[in-house]
Amino acid sequence: MEDDRAFTHPLYDFMARMPGLDVATTSVDKLLTWGASNALWIFPMATSCCGIEFMAAAASRVDLDRMGTIVRGTPRQSDVMVVAGTITVKMAPRVKKLWDQMPEPKWCLAMGSCAISGDFYRDIYSVVPGIDTFLPVDVYVPGCPPNPEELMHGLLRLQEKIRAFRAGKPRGAAERPPTPEHMRRPSLPRLDDPTRPDELSLLQTQSAGSLGHGTEMNLIELRRSKAGEALAAKLAALRAPAAPAEPAEKKE
Amino acid sequence: MKGAPKNEELEQLLAAEFGVTEFPSDAPPLVDRARHLELAARLKALGYRLYVTVVATHYLPQAASKAGPEQPEHFEVATALRKPTQGGTLAAWRCKLAVGEGIPSLVGLFAGADWQEREQFDLVGVRFDDHPDLRRLMMPDDWEGHPLRKDYAIDTACTPWR
Repeated sequence: MEDDRAFTHPLYDFMARMPGLDVATTSVDKLLTWGASNALWIFPMATSCCGIEFMAAAASRVDLDRMGTIVRGTPRQSDVMVVAGTITVKMAPRVKKLWDQMPEPKWCLAMGSCAISGDFYRDIYSVVPGIDTFLPVDVYVPGCPPNPEELMHGLLRLQEKIRAFRAGKPRGAAERPPTPEHMRRPSLPRLDDPTRPDELSLLQTQSAGSLGHGTEMNLIELRRSKAGEALAAKLAALRAPAAPAEPAEKKE
Repeated sequence: MKGAPKNEELEQLLAAEFGVTEFPSDAPPLVDRARHLELAARLKALGYRLYVTVVATHYLPQAASKAGPEQPEHFEVATALRKPTQGGTLAAWRCKLAVGEGIPSLVGLFAGADWQEREQFDLVGVRFDDHPDLRRLMMPDDWEGHPLRKDYAIDTACTPWR
């Protein structure tokens, strides 16, 4: 997902047209990197108790403000979406819709076990088993809920990630430690999983897009459409092989 | 376990006008569902004008045992009203519904019943007749099934998200 992101800036276009200004590029780039990593405006997608810890982090003791992190009430002015809490199947299209409204470049931080994997609500019919089934998550902050300090640590790591990426050294899923075998569960492939069917993201986008007409979602129609049937078959095939066999190959 | 304090007023009313003879100590009395609305209106006139709650429960078919006689699959809807005075008491009663039967809605009497009845319809699948806006409240509008029924499969897959 990261590789697709465009870090364009009007300044770059301007300089490309001015001969002899290339020298300034590195300095300007440093300035922009400094700006991008130190003004992470947050859109708090707080749905449950993690939201309370998030508020504590924004309050005076930990004070997110001192690293330029301002909490905004609208996705259109934000750089980071902090998903703090359980996301249900009903909520997921709304989260996706808000995410789509954020301007690039944007980052996503999954705060707490529920946002990361669904935690003990994972197997419940109405809960999304991890927001990385439909959002490109950059930083995972584990905990139930995480301390304000841990959230702060997550944001510092996000800053590191932004700096590394802008320096041309993207850190992706390849560098993430693999999930321990006993914790693997048959589930939907994540966004950066190569086995993830391409049309899955499209289906999720469509179901989020259908929110435009009133409040109805067309999940049933999606599920019954040909695309939905094909997808269901694909997912069934993906889930069919025994879970332990696959990770073992990946580890080697 | 000791049940809720007895409501003498309600018991006298039920015995005199609604033909109820059994008052179990651990559950609200059973009332015929055809007289549900009439009872609610009667109680409202007596001062029970606070709509507290409605709770629907699904029961799977049960074979005869020590606990009781054979039971077909059915629903029970418990309603509670309160008299909002000093030391005001709770008036609660149950109605038994067979599969496919509906119960009269109390929205005409208590506006606050609207969303509570929608919730029970959404999660348990009990139909409230003459409800002005009987839509799902908690689950997505296009959800299939009613999650709080005893035979609902908990791992029902929802394709785009899991």
